[in-house]
Amino acid sequence: MGGVKRSIIKMATFTGSMAPVLVLWLAMSLSGTWAVDKGNFKTCDQSAFCKRQRALKPGDSPYRALLETMELTNTRLTLQLINDNNKVRLLLELYRLQGNMTRVKINELKPLKPRFEVPDVLITEPSTEPLSLLSQDENGVVLSLGTESQRVIISARPFRLDIMEGPEVLMSLNSRGLLAFEHLRMRKDTQAEPEGEKKEEADPANQAEKEEEEKVDGMWEETFKSHSDSKPNGPSAISLDFSLPGVEHVYGIPEHADTLRLKTTDNGDPYRLYNLDVFQYELYNPMALYGAVPVMLAHKAQRTTGIFWLNAAETWVDISSNTAGKTVFGKMLDYVQGSSETPQTDVRWISESGIIDVFIMLGPTPKDVFSQYASLTGTQSFPPLAAVGYHQCRWNYNDQEDVASVDAGFDEHDIPYDYIWLDIEHTDGKRYFTWDSHKFASPKEMLQALEDKKRKMVAIVDPHIKVDSNYKIHNEIRNKGFYIKNKDGGDYEGWCWPGSAGYPDFTRPDMRAWWASMFAYDQYEGTAENLYTWNDMNEPSVFNGPEVTMHKDAVHGAWEHRDVHNLYGLYVQMATAEGQIQRSGGVERPFVLTRAFFAGSQRYGAVWTGDNAAEWDHLKVSIPMCLSLGLVGISFCGADVGGFFKSPSTELLVRWYQTGAYQPFFRAHAHLDTPRREPWLFGPENTALIRDVVRQRYTLLPYWYQQFYHAYRTGEPIMRPLWVEYPQDPATFALDDEFLIGKDLLVHPVTEEGARGVTAYLPGKDQVWFDVHTFQKHNGAQSLYIPVTMSSIPVFQRGGSIIPRKMRVRRSSSCMTHDPYTLYVALNLQRTAEGELYIDDGHTFNYEKKEFIHRRLSFAKNMLSSVNLATDAEFSTGSWIERIVILGASKPSKVTLKTADGQESQLEFDFDASMSVLTLRKPGVNAGLDWNVMLQ
Amino acid sequence: MHFHMIIVAVFWFGFVDSRKIRGISSSYKRFFRERKSFLCIDGSKIIPFEQVNDDYCDCEDGSDEPGTSACPQGRFYCTNLGFRPHYIPSSRVNDGICDCCDASDEYNSHAHCQNACWNLGQRERAYVEGQMRTLDEGLQLKQQLIEEGVLLWREKQAQLRELQQVAEDLQTKLEERRSRKQEADRLKEQTPRPPEAGDGRLFRGQNSTVTGTFKLLDSNKDGSITVDEVQAKVALVHDEERVLSEDEAVALLGGDHQMDLTTFQHTLWDILTNGGRVKIKDTHGAPGVGEDPPLKVADREWEATNLKKVEEAYDTVNMEISDLREKLAIDYGPDWEFLFLNSQCYKLKVYERWGMWEGPPKNQYGRMVYENGEPCWQGGSRSTTVTLTCGTETALRSVKEPSKCQYIMDFQTPVACQPVLKQRGIHSEL
Repeated sequence: MGGVKRSIIKMATFTGSMAPVLVLWLAMSLSGTWAVDKGNFKTCDQSAFCKRQRALKPGDSPYRALLETMELTNTRLTLQLINDNNKVRLLLELYRLQGNMTRVKINELKPLKPRFEVPDVLITEPSTEPLSLLSQDENGVVLSLGTESQRVIISARPFRLDIMEGPEVLMSLNSRGLLAFEHLRMRKDTQAEPEGEKKEEADPANQAEKEEEEKVDGMWEETFKSHSDSKPNGPSAISLDFSLPGVEHVYGIPEHADTLRLKTTDNGDPYRLYNLDVFQYELYNPMALYGAVPVMLAHKAQRTTGIFWLNAAETWVDISSNTAGKTVFGKMLDYVQGSSETPQTDVRWISESGIIDVFIMLGPTPKDVFSQYASLTGTQSFPPLAAVGYHQCRWNYNDQEDVASVDAGFDEHDIPYDYIWLDIEHTDGKRYFTWDSHKFASPKEMLQALEDKKRKMVAIVDPHIKVDSNYKIHNEIRNKGFYIKNKDGGDYEGWCWPGSAGYPDFTRPDMRAWWASMFAYDQYEGTAENLYTWNDMNEPSVFNGPEVTMHKDAVHGAWEHRDVHNLYGLYVQMATAEGQIQRSGGVERPFVLTRAFFAGSQRYGAVWTGDNAAEWDHLKVSIPMCLSLGLVGISFCGADVGGFFKSPSTELLVRWYQTGAYQPFFRAHAHLDTPRREPWLFGPENTALIRDVVRQRYTLLPYWYQQFYHAYRTGEPIMRPLWVEYPQDPATFALDDEFLIGKDLLVHPVTEEGARGVTAYLPGKDQVWFDVHTFQKHNGAQSLYIPVTMSSIPVFQRGGSIIPRKMRVRRSSSCMTHDPYTLYVALNLQRTAEGELYIDDGHTFNYEKKEFIHRRLSFAKNMLSSVNLATDAEFSTGSWIERIVILGASKPSKVTLKTADGQESQLEFDFDASMSVLTLRKPGVNAGLDWNVMLQ
Repeated sequence: MHFHMIIVAVFWFGFVDSRKIRGISSSYKRFFRERKSFLCIDGSKIIPFEQVNDDYCDCEDGSDEPGTSACPQGRFYCTNLGFRPHYIPSSRVNDGICDCCDASDEYNSHAHCQNACWNLGQRERAYVEGQMRTLDEGLQLKQQLIEEGVLLWREKQAQLRELQQVAEDLQTKLEERRSRKQEADRLKEQTPRPPEAGDGRLFRGQNSTVTGTFKLLDSNKDGSITVDEVQAKVALVHDEERVLSEDEAVALLGGDHQMDLTTFQHTLWDILTNGGRVKIKDTHGAPGVGEDPPLKVADREWEATNLKKVEEAYDTVNMEISDLREKLAIDYGPDWEFLFLNSQCYKLKVYERWGMWEGPPKNQYGRMVYENGEPCWQGGSRSTTVTLTCGTETALRSVKEPSKCQYIMDFQTPVACQPVLKQRGIHSEL
């Protein structure tokens, strides 16, 4: 889906008076290079608070800790900080959280009015652990963080925090003196107030302020292009710096179209986090995109840590590094072991409003950080199995006949798919929750026809609501007062697909409850159980708003849009997913795709990387973009296969299918203006290539599903960078042209035009990897050149793993429910292997009631066995073990299957000596039972 | 336990019995004769016969599992008695979806499939009969249209010949006019240029100044125009030959019998220059031509006008000829059966030209492609593929836009009816 370009088309059709403007706009967008119009989006310099904050240079902090105000209870420490320049006091709160985390909150001690604290992102109030005072003097305080000799040192003058473990500094806060807190203040109407009165109330703080305000504009009003921000609360920005000794690699803070490893920002803009509908986004730069997760991971060989900056306002993140030629930490090396050559990364967060609320996740392993973050914001929602299949989308499938013929096309060409998608044109004039009465006259029949093939559909529901007094949804929202208000108190109206539109205030629980109720079958007419939802444009996108989004002075109850902006998209998806759960009485799992997101969005469904383009670089960047999202909890990520804008070459399309088939969310999508690109439109050869890779996806669905279950349980990413599994191998730290699915499959997609080969890094000393197509064995810890043809998609299975597959690829995932499993056992050098098998009904929440099968498969001492990993769970399956393929095996003389009831039988087998592949024929045992197979 | 045994036994019998025939067409039965072993049809492997249709794929070619979903490349034969037999991919066996109308593919699934072959057969037969009727009617209509087409073709040919004749005549005339004009031009060059007319409004062949015209009319040079003088020099535009009556002349003189220059300037001058009803008589060939420069100019311009007229006529005729030729050069099908469609509008507004026949070799006239239509919003131009199908009426059945500015139209017409189709219909396996 597209931002501005789409708007032109639609608007042109119904606003004759705007035509000249549109033509001009069009001319601009068609001329010159094909990329984002950067002028539509702010640089740090154009964002007043960023400019102000960034003008502060590292140095002595004006903040001082007032140790005499310290209060230490069992669970928290509080302490006042004072800014010696303006005497404004802040309150510092420090918590030790369960699971090796420290939370630091800083707010004004006595703000003029409350400052926004982000609700609904943390799944619960985090559990605390006791803090204890180790020592205290006039220079500072040392507190014990409990485990592992961890300490926090609070230095009083200037204020700084150091978190240490043993002699090692893990992280320092305000060590560069960049803590800044713009306190709320009265608006001074200088023109109306006589000089004398002003002097009367002048105290040193005010005096300083005035000087400050004289120097810096944009504090009480700001304009960007033709938009003005009234800033009724004046300046309210916050900022804090973090130093990471020994760290050279930082990751996360999506969403940016950039490399996995974050770059230093000294020579350009900071990374920006501000959910925006960016038309034709540019690659490899720090510009903001559709979603924001203010979480950064810092990694060095010995430790991984994380910083979660819980703030939903516009945020900028500066990164610098002494190893990148910058010296910043120079003099303050008291705590730091070693010499000044120690590499260090310094990070600085700047937000426009709210408070400082930061969670410091101390690892020490990458998986510890994932679990720490998951304990705060939850894990990936467990999707219905079908959603892990292939999705066929286009803007737009025009009518029911079109849907039927595309559906038939998949059968004709024997390509599986699970969901067909309808974009905005399916509605009655972009009124969501409705159907175009001509093109989609009988949606229930259409859905039934899909259901008959065990397939499903997704229809789009965007959060902008057409202002039309004949539209039920609009009337109800307006009558209930659920719309976001403009600064003057009226309903906020902006321009989007339907023309003039209102934006429901999703920050209100009552609004979300009402929205959820709209998905009931009797409310959302023409729907059925196999219809799911797609939330687009939920940044929110406002075509005629500043930076194509909402005015910051729009009002959400007590708060400004400024405070909640990055949360809006999360709430939209939250309410929509809740609606889907409710319509089935809480039985069925929802599936909702969102474009905008925030920390915690993983709990509500899938995310895609927005309106990309049919270009090779966009294919490449889909890997680091999804890897970055996975690192911060959002595993269910994908990019539009084929590219949204423009038309891909056949080669690019095929390569994109091959890449997308190995990414968590696998959906092809295309812009309205592009020619059709269903998989069979590029000649029989390419149809076969695409068919083959989609089928590969389907054979691996049991593994994918198990990964989703694992992500749901642990918060670990599904698609993960190599360093997550090989944290001590520096060769993996910056890799982002290949990735792991879970820990057992390594994928190096071909993303170069005309490629004859790729060089994949296979990690792990003493590790072996098996090519999943040829079963050829390769040693780990090497860069391997792999010659490729158009049919190649380099994928390797780790020696030591067992991967379940279903080899009978059918029309859709649901058709494969009862199919038998083939187990791929890849032996490591110790001739052992381990894996899991997870089975449930694939679509309900009954897994929460322990209705599933979860088994451990292990191979050791020439015996493969299946044992129950969840003895308290119960589920029965018709699926059985069809075949066992052992890679790296030697030829046995006899193979014996032993079932739970003690019966033994001989299995036939086939041994391929050239590749050392042993195939055991038809064990036939039920997949949910105990059994073992002995090789002799 | 005993009970279980019975069930297993019954199931086993059913299994043995069915697996021999399930999923195989009669022509393949010879490969599956009960023996001790089974040779994969591609000859790659021999397996025990018990492993045929045992839900495990042994043969590379999938031939050992014609009745199950075990082999990825396999296919299952739906016998479909009462309808049409066909193969389905083995992945559709027992997938919970009824694919064979005889329900034979879902022998071990939760799907409740009814045998629908007879109904489908009925429907298909009815449909085919309907198609046959349409085809018969269509072919008759097509014959008529062919005849009409032939007539039309001949008519157009005749029209072409006529036009060519006209063109020849015009050419002769043109040459004649050209030489006359040259003559007039030559005369003009010999005479001095007349004084330039101040007023821009020229009326044909006349001196255009007020005074000049007045002088021209005032034959006796007495400073006023009389009825006689008007009758002598002014004529009706439509009837140059007739002399104006006295009343008409008086009317032109504003109801008076004479008119001076000042009045003339405000009345008759306007009437003359407007050129609607009356004009100064052509003085071509009148005595004193050589002495009167304005008259010579008139003569020359008159020649030029005549020449232009003939030239225009000639051009028009030639354009019509080339237009007609172009139309006649279009491929209207072997029997000109599509000729009648020429210039017919079936809301194909975007295109005014005949597209290209693009059908497959066997049915070349089954599809027509129009390219380079009106520019599309996002660049490029519109294109349309029109599929022609047999029907008793000539009508546009549907228009779709699967991609932006790429249209697909379904066009029905009797002339798309093919006798071949009819034969195929008769031999269809029912």
